[in-house]
Amino acid sequence: MSQADTRLSPRFLLSELRLIAVRRRNQAGLAALAAVPVILAAAMKLTVPDAGRGPGQGPDFFSQITGNGYFVALAALGVELTLFLPIAVAMLAGDAVAGEANQGTLRYLLTVPVARTRLLAIKYAGILMGAFLAPLVVATSGLLAGFLLFGAGDVTTLSGTRIGLATALLRLLVICLYLGVCLAALGAVGLFLSTLTEQPMGATIALTMLTVASFVLGQIPQLDWLHPYLLTQHWRDFGELLREPVAWEALIPGLTSAGAYILVFLSAAWARFSGRDVTS
Amino acid sequence: MSVFRSRPALRWLVPAAAAVVVIGGGAAAGTIAASADPALPERSAAQLLVDVQTAKIDGLSGTVVQTADLGLPSLPGITGGAGSNADLMKLVAGSNTARVWYAGDDKVRLAVLGTLGETDVIRNGTDMWVWRSTENSATHIKIPADAKRQERKTLAGAVPATPQEAADAALAAIDPTTAVTTTGAAKVAGRDAYELVLTPRDTASLVGQVRLAIDAEKHIPLGVDVYAKDANNPALRIAFQQVSFETPDAEQFTFNPPPGAKVTTPDRSSSAKPGAPHRADKADKSDKSAPEGTKVVGKGWTSVLVAKTSTAKTDTRNAEGTQQLEAITGALPKVSGTWGSGRLLQSALFSALLTDDGRVLVGAVAPEKLYEVAGQ
Repeated sequence: MSQADTRLSPRFLLSELRLIAVRRRNQAGLAALAAVPVILAAAMKLTVPDAGRGPGQGPDFFSQITGNGYFVALAALGVELTLFLPIAVAMLAGDAVAGEANQGTLRYLLTVPVARTRLLAIKYAGILMGAFLAPLVVATSGLLAGFLLFGAGDVTTLSGTRIGLATALLRLLVICLYLGVCLAALGAVGLFLSTLTEQPMGATIALTMLTVASFVLGQIPQLDWLHPYLLTQHWRDFGELLREPVAWEALIPGLTSAGAYILVFLSAAWARFSGRDVTS
Repeated sequence: MSVFRSRPALRWLVPAAAAVVVIGGGAAAGTIAASADPALPERSAAQLLVDVQTAKIDGLSGTVVQTADLGLPSLPGITGGAGSNADLMKLVAGSNTARVWYAGDDKVRLAVLGTLGETDVIRNGTDMWVWRSTENSATHIKIPADAKRQERKTLAGAVPATPQEAADAALAAIDPTTAVTTTGAAKVAGRDAYELVLTPRDTASLVGQVRLAIDAEKHIPLGVDVYAKDANNPALRIAFQQVSFETPDAEQFTFNPPPGAKVTTPDRSSSAKPGAPHRADKADKSDKSAPEGTKVVGKGWTSVLVAKTSTAKTDTRNAEGTQQLEAITGALPKVSGTWGSGRLLQSALFSALLTDDGRVLVGAVAPEKLYEVAGQ
């Protein structure tokens, strides 16, 4: 093995991140993620004088939007968490290895030469960037749209008490980070799927189906023994951060579960990728 | 590394080992915590009971987890429930997490946590608030100073909400029908605890054992497990997951309804049960306001409550509730015998019989015993 292999150079990582950032489909994906909260806020603004529906109607946080723009971000995160955010991560993760294989560039990448473990690490770093960026984009766009249309103010927590806007924004940031960790676990599974095939679309669809299946299984009370092992089981725990006082220890199951998924599936991706023949 | 190079298949051992460690580790952590036997000086059941009666704490805060596996049949509107009652219905089927804060009898806060919601019951002096985040509503109840005791009892209701209340309910059931023993010390929420085991002497009871974990130092109940007969896992379990004996801040008990919230201040007469209007039709054995004709047959663990249903009254008051009740009873299996006919609700811990002539029989006994009572 050559010198270039062991030396830790950020060049490969930077080039990978740039490659992800300049891809039109990724930019379009981010724009779509950012559009949802804007549409949501606009729709809520247009239907405000709807007094017929009492409080407590509609999905979580929706009823509070009209009082405070802050909740647009939360409602948008809640809505996008079930499909949009996983799809965004699935797109990146599916593309990671299978995309290179499909384009025939994987071979050339490995002859540079780059160790396969390092290539996987770089690819996962790219997925991580996406996983943490996506919720932040949704939250930021939601905040902007919400503040513009509904104004800002003190935020009512789930416990019925009020916290200042600065504290609330800090909590929103922690929520985004927590969701980032959750999506990073999804990305690890996606990276593994991506090493199994040469069709990026296949890996993406498989991962999306896995997410949806996980959500559906989580809704079936008869399968409650399975629930603790489901990937998506603790995603909605982000609401714990909106209690007063914050139930920090309630985030532990979600973080542990995400860590376990990352450990198992990254090592599986390594086992698969470093041992397989690269034919394209 | 060279092994992996010469035999690529061996690489798969790494993720496999990781998976085993992760899944096994999670399972093992639970068993280790449960089987750790701290060495505590022996204490008799009577001593423990006195400890509990005289326990005095200034304050505590913690997380209580309640799990119920009553083996109830799936009932429309209850076990699959949506709507505002879903949170409370989880008390009889499923798992609940609540956070509790306590700083003396007149400063109590209980927060039942939902996924993206919360139901709080906050008592601060003579004010009691019930906050429901999903409805954005708050109910304000003024408690007259002289009615303190009674109000507390009503709140405790059919399903005990905290380990303290659950233990009180279990202790009240102690009489000559029960064998009381203590066992090796347990560990609850990371604290050493004694275990008080109540075993019904009457084998006809569906209740196998009630195990009460009592904190070795503070003498307050940390958890209650109710086992059905011949069961290895508790049918009902309420225990602290985490507990701290520091007196919580006063601000935990102040509640001001947020602007935009729907605030209701019910009259004294209708405020008796803020939480659970529909819960009364389930295993509610402590409903003191039951109509005349209610009687208890038998003694101790095998006593059976016989009540007359007053459908006419509920009709005018709550049509929706009646409809729901009808949907539920309609889903129950039909039974009949020499005593008549009716519908039977059977679970691991109790049975309930609704006869067609309008009687309700409830008891922690097998259905046969209910039939026997119904035939009398």
